[in-house]
Amino acid sequence: MNGAVTINVNNKEYNVESGQTIMQALDKIGFYIPRLCYHPKLSVEGACRICIVELEGARNYVTSCTTKVAEGMKIKTNTADLRKARRDLLELLLDNHPVDCNTCERDGNCELQAIARSIGIKKRHFTGEKKKYDIDLSSPSLSRDPNKCILCGRCVRLCSEIQGVNAINYANRGFNSVVMTAFNSPINSSVCINCGQCINVCPTAALSEKYYTVELFKELSDDKKLKIVQVAPAVRAAIGEAFGLPAGTNMEKQLVAALRKLGFDLVFDTQFSADLTIMEEGYEFLDRLTNKGVLPMITSCSPAWIKYAEQFHPEILPNISTCKSPMSMQSSVIKTYYAQKRGIDPKDILSVAIMPCTAKKYEAEREELALDGNKLTDIVVTTREIAWMIKSAGIDLTKTEPEEFDNMFGFSSGAATIFGVTGGVMEAALRTAYELYMGESIIDIEFNDIRGFKGIKEATVKMGEKEVKVAVAHGIGNANEILGIVKKDPSRYHFIEIMSCPGGCINGGGQPYAGSEYVALDEELLKKRASVLYGLDRAKTIRRSHENPEIQRIYKEFFERPLGPKSHKILHTHYSKKYPQGIYRK
Amino acid sequence: MATAMENLKSVRQEAIQKLIENGLLSSTRVYVGMSTCEIAAGSREIWDTFQEEIKENKITDIQLKQKGCAGRCNLEPTVEVLQAGKVPFKYINVDTAKVKEIIKKHILENSARSEERTPELKTDPFMLTDRSKFVFGNVDFFKKQKRITLRNCGIIDPESMEDYLSVRGYEALAKVLTGYTPGQVIEEVTKSGLRGRGGGGFYTGLKWKLVADENETEKYVICNADEGDPGAFMDRSALEGDPHIVLEGMIIAGYAVGAKKGFVYIRAEYPLAIVRLKKAIKDAKAYGFLGKNILGTGYDFDVELVLGAGAFVCGEETALIHSIEGGRGTPTTKPPYPSVHGLWGKPTLINNVETFANIGVIILDGYESFASIGTSDSKGTKVFALAGKVNNTGLIEVPMGITLREIIYDIGGGIKDGKKFKAVLTGGPSGGCIPEEFLDRTVDYDSLNALGSIMGSGGMIVLDEDDCMIDVARYFLEFTQNESCGKCTPCREGTKRMLEILTRITSGEGEQSDIEKLERLANLIKKTSLCGLGQSAPNPVLTTMRYFKNEYDAHVKYKKCPAAVCKGIISSPCQHACFLGGSGAPSYIGLIAREKIDEAVEILYRENPLPVICGRVCHHPCESKCRRGDIDRPIAIRELKRFLTDYAMENKLGLKAGAITKRDEKVAVIGSGPAGLACAHDLAMSGYKVTVFEKLPVAGGMLAVAIPQYRLPKSLLAFEIDNLKKLGIEIKLNTEIGKNIKLEDLRKDFKAIFIAAGAHKGLKLKIPGEDSKGVIDAVDLLREINLGRKPDIGQSAAVIGGGNAAIDAVRTINRLGKKAVLLYRRTKSEMPAWEEEVDEAIAEGIDIQFLVAPVKVITEKGRVSRLECIRMELGDVDRSGRRKPVPVEGSGFTIDIDTLVPAISQEPDIGQLISGEAARHLKLSKWNTIEVDGETLYCGTEGIFAGGDVVLGPKTVTEAMSHGMIAAEMIDKYIKGEPLVRHYSVTKPAMDVPLMEMSEEEIESLQRFEMPMLDVKDRINNFIETELGFSMAAAVCEAKHCLRCDKEEKE
Repeated sequence: MNGAVTINVNNKEYNVESGQTIMQALDKIGFYIPRLCYHPKLSVEGACRICIVELEGARNYVTSCTTKVAEGMKIKTNTADLRKARRDLLELLLDNHPVDCNTCERDGNCELQAIARSIGIKKRHFTGEKKKYDIDLSSPSLSRDPNKCILCGRCVRLCSEIQGVNAINYANRGFNSVVMTAFNSPINSSVCINCGQCINVCPTAALSEKYYTVELFKELSDDKKLKIVQVAPAVRAAIGEAFGLPAGTNMEKQLVAALRKLGFDLVFDTQFSADLTIMEEGYEFLDRLTNKGVLPMITSCSPAWIKYAEQFHPEILPNISTCKSPMSMQSSVIKTYYAQKRGIDPKDILSVAIMPCTAKKYEAEREELALDGNKLTDIVVTTREIAWMIKSAGIDLTKTEPEEFDNMFGFSSGAATIFGVTGGVMEAALRTAYELYMGESIIDIEFNDIRGFKGIKEATVKMGEKEVKVAVAHGIGNANEILGIVKKDPSRYHFIEIMSCPGGCINGGGQPYAGSEYVALDEELLKKRASVLYGLDRAKTIRRSHENPEIQRIYKEFFERPLGPKSHKILHTHYSKKYPQGIYRK
Repeated sequence: MATAMENLKSVRQEAIQKLIENGLLSSTRVYVGMSTCEIAAGSREIWDTFQEEIKENKITDIQLKQKGCAGRCNLEPTVEVLQAGKVPFKYINVDTAKVKEIIKKHILENSARSEERTPELKTDPFMLTDRSKFVFGNVDFFKKQKRITLRNCGIIDPESMEDYLSVRGYEALAKVLTGYTPGQVIEEVTKSGLRGRGGGGFYTGLKWKLVADENETEKYVICNADEGDPGAFMDRSALEGDPHIVLEGMIIAGYAVGAKKGFVYIRAEYPLAIVRLKKAIKDAKAYGFLGKNILGTGYDFDVELVLGAGAFVCGEETALIHSIEGGRGTPTTKPPYPSVHGLWGKPTLINNVETFANIGVIILDGYESFASIGTSDSKGTKVFALAGKVNNTGLIEVPMGITLREIIYDIGGGIKDGKKFKAVLTGGPSGGCIPEEFLDRTVDYDSLNALGSIMGSGGMIVLDEDDCMIDVARYFLEFTQNESCGKCTPCREGTKRMLEILTRITSGEGEQSDIEKLERLANLIKKTSLCGLGQSAPNPVLTTMRYFKNEYDAHVKYKKCPAAVCKGIISSPCQHACFLGGSGAPSYIGLIAREKIDEAVEILYRENPLPVICGRVCHHPCESKCRRGDIDRPIAIRELKRFLTDYAMENKLGLKAGAITKRDEKVAVIGSGPAGLACAHDLAMSGYKVTVFEKLPVAGGMLAVAIPQYRLPKSLLAFEIDNLKKLGIEIKLNTEIGKNIKLEDLRKDFKAIFIAAGAHKGLKLKIPGEDSKGVIDAVDLLREINLGRKPDIGQSAAVIGGGNAAIDAVRTINRLGKKAVLLYRRTKSEMPAWEEEVDEAIAEGIDIQFLVAPVKVITEKGRVSRLECIRMELGDVDRSGRRKPVPVEGSGFTIDIDTLVPAISQEPDIGQLISGEAARHLKLSKWNTIEVDGETLYCGTEGIFAGGDVVLGPKTVTEAMSHGMIAAEMIDKYIKGEPLVRHYSVTKPAMDVPLMEMSEEEIESLQRFEMPMLDVKDRINNFIETELGFSMAAAVCEAKHCLRCDKEEKE
């Protein structure tokens, strides 16, 4: 298909690559055609019709997202009639939209709003009946407001094509068309895995995270409680974007300072418990490897992946590491070890987690994670929520002086930092496992084979005579593919890392919206965010989890040893098959 | 090895043998129509009754067979009786009683009544299998049809493979498999010029070639049987009547394009078609036409049925493919086309049922024969489901290039109930409404497109004057709006907004800007929708806006629904149809039913300034729109009105008190006809001093001098006028403006002037000898007689015309004891005169000769002695919606008369009215009518308004009155210095009268009362009123069966 064709755009000729769509060609030439349903990482839908252009010889306007360039095509992108048609199409969408921008969560970063402005909608002509649906607040992770949905279908395609979950799809016809779950069940009773990727591609506020900001502000005003917060690695890599800083700006220490200003008594780093996770998980892997345990072992940090496996692949549950996620490990040690040490009742501690992830909100609700009936993580807020809270409290993150994390759970290795990006958990685990198994340090600790954004990454690590074969998958679609490989060839891998979100936690469902420079899932954006974490890792002297002195201390003082009875009780969990609406219970 | 053709021949031989064994040679064969439409009409019961009767009467040597639908929807159920050596019979609208009669009389007693032979049957000796010659016999319905794809429908038993084989079934397949390469098959189809019958019109041969050229081993053939237009039933009938013909086409297609698997995508709502298709597939497999090694040639092809859930959008090929694949039936953008990337990504041929049904014919008869039918770019025939307001509804197949007029009038038999044609909608909800002026356009893909409509799959709905075009557009848009898949913005959101706007307009809430919005949205949706459904959804709106803009204006601006359909505007059709606007008919009818006569009188007298007159001579457009008339006959509204006035006069009710506040301004009204009187009445009620100037020695205008006394007695007219005088209106008789007083002088004394001088001058026939002695125009004749003078009428007169004046003249001459004949150039059903008047004339023994026109007046001694005439016949329909009379060459004849009374029309007799100064201000049209502003009746000259016949030309009493009332309103504004603007509002009931507590059955069981009439023998030589009026009991009873549309809830 490669080759060049000449097309005429607005009376000027351009040589463009053949085989691409008009939209792709125009993007490169420098004509940006407004678009809504189109997303470069998803299949082409051609539904919103906003990206129409005039094509000489065609009876009707053509959608630039679906039409391929051809030699001699004459295209007009901006005639008065075309502008009017685009204007009217967009107005039709607005006419069936609440247009409550003042009170809408996405005011200021809404694609619909931005396009309306760019197209220049001034008057309204066609107002009439609007759709009326209940807002679905059933999920702890996300809320669905079909009234704001413009039926671009990006969420549907994402859930199907990237995540392979198919939790939502279109139902009904014509004006009554709506995106809903199977049997229109509340989303929490559906097969939704709470990953929140749909939120990132939604152009409006039809999908958003479930907000806990009000509760958190309320708790922060409670002076009787010890307010502890932990911050996941990926948060620091992206929160700057929410304050207008370029992608790839590290905001770790400014964030620590801002959180203190917000009213937290102690600011801990989830990276500490990432190191802890590596200790437990690394030992668990070695145990399975040497004692003929169930292999391949699969990581357990990603709660959406856990829910996915419980619903769709229960047969794989024995392969999944029993380790709690770093967030839950951190909350566990806060409410046990730390509380003991400080001599306070865990009930007087408010444990808050700032996560790039919407599924963490769900994880916090999981009953099997509670300790003696007590919730471990009291409130989970996403990067977006905390960014808003910081702004709302009148704090300018960009002008905040850097501060350090608090002691005890504030220190982490470089291995823990890269947990936030796909391949990071595996890399961290290998750094430790290798040394534990071989009893010697590896020379090159950067595992380049499992870095980057290829859907499935594989590597073989020679541990003496043993060839340990590992694989990394990010995005549930890729995870599903790897499960297929394992099913066919159970001995192909020893260890698999799975993260639910494409790119890993840096692209979690709770991360800042892509903004105007990038689109969601854009690899350039992900690379920039990843570079923050890899940079932090490289800058550290301690880059292996087991070398973290705080980790060594907690084992000495509290857990005694990895996989010991105490850590088994506090740091490990179990999984069970789940039957949401749409999954047949035998 | 035997060829496919040899194999077929032996199979066919066996089949015919089997038919004979099953009774093909029985001396009596009975065919009962058993398609969905026939069954719905009751044919299942007919079938069962035949079986019982045959058993009970122990009739042997009889064969009972089922047949499909021959397309005669309005005649079903149909039954054919064939007997060896005898005339075949076809019975229509058969019920079980008829079945028993057929068995007894026709079969057992051999005494069938010949008048029951429908003309569809031609005498034909015993025939074995080919019944087509008499089933499609020499009747108008079939004359202009050309049945190719439907050639077996209604002939064979659709569930019998043997029947199909006996009519050359599967011979085309055998021919192809015997000597054609796939390329040759495609060439044959290409040369035939066949285009897709699903509506798109893509060249079939080209489509086949595209699929054949794809280098893939796996390919599919799909038959699109997802017919879903409202009013369309072509595919269903075809599949029910002859399923094998479609299968055969598919198998040939599969061979041509290289596919081994076919699917028929059919909607699940077609259960009988599904049953028959399933049976056909099963039989075809058993006979070796489907499956492995077809006809021993090694060619494999299988067909599977896929049932659709009934989404209209699944008729769109990409949506259909997704539906077969198990996905949501939504379309995707083309390209890629199904021929490249179709079902499961494989090259796929999709054709419609009718397209496949054509294949066998093309192969059997050769492409030349097929291509000889039709126009240059549209070859062959097209099947249409002819529905709506035509007499012969049904399934028809016509050659391309036939005109719409031929379909509607020759095949369809014209419009039902003699109503006026308004539009024909082709292409269903994706098509457009084509008006009368384009009826002579040919039916082919391109000409229909040029009119803004489409051929579509073949729905054709005929609309008449009782259909509101906006309501029709709204109906179809509601359909497409509901059936939109919801994927793309313009179709999902835009059609909803269009529907909202149309709903507003039909509710009387439309605004001028709505029409612009509607057009803007329609063009947007057409130009930007993803698939054909959206792109064509605005067509009904766009075409009605193009051809019926006046109806949009009527709804939006004037709050009028000309067809009296839109509930939100009309309240009740009778009231809406009345020129007086708030006539209050449903309210006073409701009150009469409740025996509250006094209240009813009050309503009538409040709404109508001349109730006594209207009760006798109104042409009652209310009754023509009465919903009860759709069931049986309309309510006798005029008679009820008259009853109220009789009651009022008897009980001295309805006398008006006059205006409360008096005004000093004086207004002059010129002419004391209905327009002048109504205007004077309203002005007087507003307190003005009104003087009416009348040229004649009597007041009342045409009411006094044109309408004979036997219809409107002088005393009653005088009574009504006296009542007006009591309001302070002064009437100056014998005063002609321009002669006795100059218009200019009137302007000095009067603030405003209303000219309502009427149209009193008869129009000329424009034939030689018309100026001779003995020729007197009807209006002149009637005036003279009404004024008590004695016009020169000889002994034998001929009246020319078909309107009320003609009838009045001829009945008047008859009453004078003279001989009179009425000549009319069309037939009775085209007469503009009231039907009851014509009937009365006939009852009185008047000789009315239809289809006769005068040519020349022959005189003797200066006086008329004979009239040369010519006979006429009805030709095509003209702009008035009636069939045009055309002279029959060489049919001339003469009649002996001494008096000729032309009664064709009148024009205003302006005389000196407009002379001098006035002539500078008032403008006359070429019809001698005064030109005014159509809405305000203002003449453009200070203070002068005009209305009634002097503006409209000869029209009706109520139209003239309505002008008078408008003028009064405008004059009031003029005098008060307010802007001359009329405000329009929707029709509302005059009063909220509760419904009677009656059951629907009770209401339905009541029938219209006939007006009691003076005996015909008592009418000779006198002018006594012929209508005697309703009694109280009759009036109450009549009022009770009103359906009370005013109480109907808005939809």
